Amino acid sequence: MANRSAARLTLPTLLTLTAIVTVLPFVAMVLVAFAPPSSQTFPDAFYPSRWTFDNFARVLSSSDIPRWTVNSLLYSLVSVVFVLLFAAMAGYAFAKKRFPGRELMFWAFLATLMVPFQATLIPSYILISRLDWVDSYWGLIVPTLANSQAVFLLRQFIGQLPDELFEAAEIDGAPEWKIFTMIVMPLIRPALATLGIFVFLWHWNDFLWPLVIGQSANMQTLTVGLATLQTQSVPINQIMAGATITVVPSLLVFGLLQRYLTDSITMSGLKG
Amino acid sequence: MTQVGVDRDSPARRPRPVPLRGRHGPRRRAWVGLVFVAPMLALFLAFRFLPAVGAVWLSLTDYRLSGRWKFVAFDNYARLLQDSLFHQSLVVTLTYTLIFVPLTVLLSLGTALLLQQVVWQRGFFRGVFFLPYVTSIVLAAVIWKWIYDAQDGLLNAVLGLVSIGPIDFLGSDHSVLASIAVTSAWKGFGYSMLILLAGLQAVPRSYLEAAMIDGASAWQRFRYIVLPQLRPVLFFVLVIETISAFQVFDAMYVMTGGGPVRASYSLVYFLYDSGFKFFDFGYASAIGIMLFFIVLIISLIQRRLVGRDD
Repeated sequence: MANRSAARLTLPTLLTLTAIVTVLPFVAMVLVAFAPPSSQTFPDAFYPSRWTFDNFARVLSSSDIPRWTVNSLLYSLVSVVFVLLFAAMAGYAFAKKRFPGRELMFWAFLATLMVPFQATLIPSYILISRLDWVDSYWGLIVPTLANSQAVFLLRQFIGQLPDELFEAAEIDGAPEWKIFTMIVMPLIRPALATLGIFVFLWHWNDFLWPLVIGQSANMQTLTVGLATLQTQSVPINQIMAGATITVVPSLLVFGLLQRYLTDSITMSGLKG
Repeated sequence: MTQVGVDRDSPARRPRPVPLRGRHGPRRRAWVGLVFVAPMLALFLAFRFLPAVGAVWLSLTDYRLSGRWKFVAFDNYARLLQDSLFHQSLVVTLTYTLIFVPLTVLLSLGTALLLQQVVWQRGFFRGVFFLPYVTSIVLAAVIWKWIYDAQDGLLNAVLGLVSIGPIDFLGSDHSVLASIAVTSAWKGFGYSMLILLAGLQAVPRSYLEAAMIDGASAWQRFRYIVLPQLRPVLFFVLVIETISAFQVFDAMYVMTGGGPVRASYSLVYFLYDSGFKFFDFGYASAIGIMLFFIVLIISLIQRRLVGRDD
């Protein structure tokens, strides 16, 4: 019996310790970001009485963080809107429509999942430079809209909607576009919400593509900007202040929609 | 979900109306489906298929920044096989994978098991472990670069309290890959943890109860009941983590720049440098093709291993 109650305490303790170690890097980041510039190391940085916003003010004025934030937001939000729209349209067609080449097209979409993005990085870049889209929002956003995971998820979801619904709407003479906007889209709202969160996070956290496409400081995203910031001789307190700023949107999304996120991973295996 | 248009309870009482049209509704006009699929299809043709075909073609040319090129057949591949940088990047990537994959799988399996055992505050802890996953690898790299710092780093400050170090974690070619692997594992283990947790919860309780009645120890229950049931899920996790390890780049770019002396110079880093530092696009594309085949082989091995189980 003593053995069992010991075990009853051991596991929660172990769990708590693991959780503390997991959040420690975030806590350290925030502490260093708020610490006075002279104290960047443990334990100097760990006195809340000396907290200051200096580092945030300085990093905001000396770097392009506001512009990078705008770029990251544009990259993420525009992508969310168009990925959801185009993927829902394609998912609807694959799930409920017959048209020539449907199977072939679907398998071709499936096959692109096997090709790592990095393997086609060079030809994608050459294509963008031929289009004269390097260092532009077009080059940044448009190629990333071709998202096969989104098509699969929504095709699966729309496939579960009963056929009778669409038959009834057609008998009533509803035009195709109306069926899509008034029936399909509202019914798949939960799937759109989950997918939207993921597409947002994929783009917000993306690095290699914005690094290659955003060549001037004006076109960099927050991740690329943060990476360049720490190669320059910017003090660590300011880098951590910048890092703290970049993490806020992810944390907001996480805080508000944690249940959505974790449940959908276990159900669909979505991976960033 | 509510059933629409179908009365489930009384199929016999109410005769269904004779269907006016076939099972799939009225005779669909083919162009409707095509119109709906068109935007995504156009994006795919332009930005997925064209680059995929382009990668193969480019790898057979000496395409340069100027846009001038000539067909060189398999010269790029022959050059790759003899390039010591390619060998180095392969060794680095393999070593990194061998450290990262066991580390991240053990970490995610360990936390999943803990979460399954402890009911107390499960949702909260699950959220905590998942937290790093929603941040970017760049952010993780920036924080951990400071943690590892030889002068001001958190880790050396803590180790200093017990008179160890300072250790230059990222500056030594013995520890650099392990240090980066720890960073990536910290950032990403929450995802695999969720998948494994779902797998654990699918293990039938009755099996475990029967084993307990028979007096099986915790280890025996894990080894002979949980582990075999978990195998397909574990394989899935193993494969996606292996594939992600072979594509490692961001963390190295931020934390070490590939150093010290190319001790953390991965395959994708080599691809990036060949393309965007030396503008040797044909050569860089050949590296991309190699990466594709490596990832393909891993997936095929997985399919065989899992297929044998079923």
